[in-house]
Amino acid sequence: MKSRILIFVLAAAAWAAPAQSQITQLPLPPQVEKELAARASNVTEVTLGKNMLAVAAKFMKGKDKDEAATRQLIEGLDGIYVREYEFDKEGQFSMDEVEQLRKHFESSEWSSLVRERDRKSGESTDVMIKLVNGETHGMFILEAAPKELTIVLILGPVRMEDLGKLKGIGGLGALGDVQKSVHKDKKGGGE
Amino acid sequence: MKRLWLIPLLLAALVVPAAVLAASGEGFDGVVRSIEVRYHVRATRIPFLGLVNLIARKATNNGVSSLHVAEFESFSEQVDGEELDRMVEQKLGSGWERVIRETSRQGNEQTLIFMRPEGERMGLFVVNLDGHEMNVVQVSVDPDHLIENLGRYEHPSHDIGHDAGEDAGMTGDKSD
Repeated sequence: MKSRILIFVLAAAAWAAPAQSQITQLPLPPQVEKELAARASNVTEVTLGKNMLAVAAKFMKGKDKDEAATRQLIEGLDGIYVREYEFDKEGQFSMDEVEQLRKHFESSEWSSLVRERDRKSGESTDVMIKLVNGETHGMFILEAAPKELTIVLILGPVRMEDLGKLKGIGGLGALGDVQKSVHKDKKGGGE
Repeated sequence: MKRLWLIPLLLAALVVPAAVLAASGEGFDGVVRSIEVRYHVRATRIPFLGLVNLIARKATNNGVSSLHVAEFESFSEQVDGEELDRMVEQKLGSGWERVIRETSRQGNEQTLIFMRPEGERMGLFVVNLDGHEMNVVQVSVDPDHLIENLGRYEHPSHDIGHDAGEDAGMTGDKSD
């Protein structure tokens, strides 16, 4: 009995200690993130873990159907991560690094939806989705321009049609345009 | 008598994590103090902040409360974004999650926004450095009341979400 109490108390103590150090982080290779951030002149990070999404959803108590649908969508998500790196000069990140980021999501669960390369402007766009039992459970958007790199990662059940709903959240305005771009690509029938 | 040795052990097991949690988070004052010490600046206290707090609370129908503001003028030291972020995160302690961070390598523009759930309310903690001025603000907001109040000032034809999407073009130009 004595040892049971002791185990219980120690377990409670052990649980309380690490609770303070839980930090929601972008599930990307931290080294790549660090290197990009070190070279960028401006870095913007948006990190919304499940807890914070639940808090954000509280701000959507509007009566209209759209807002209710957005709230439902946000409540179901596991995380939204945005990283935007702006560089002073061209060539401060390589296509190899972009490829490295893309390859991080190249697994059996993730499939490429959009792959756009413009050699002339040096711009590229990748949209990848995570499929679980035929349903989208994640979206990874990687956009590179000569002096800018943007990464958006949405974890949880999300459909392409839902991207527009998320554009109202700070820092995610561009998702509406990605949605348009994907629709355009689908209609055009290729990359 | 045999079980007496258990008492200090149990107390230590319970008190140590609590002390760790308490020490890890010094809140608003802790952040302000650490900025003062690290960057050799002094925070300007806002006079009658208690009164401002009361008015804000009444005016927003309890939408905004627990307002804390510290202003640093003549901020001349170079700021390492990573270091500032680490320091604020450490001083704020558990419960707070950083949702937005904007940092410039030159160091003269830094923004950190932290959030934490406070029951039905939401805590917001903002550190903003713009040139030679830094502001640290902590506020507790009630989403329901705040939206209700903001709705009163919103023009019926003005859709914030729509504007945000239109303004922030990432691939818009390309698709045209």
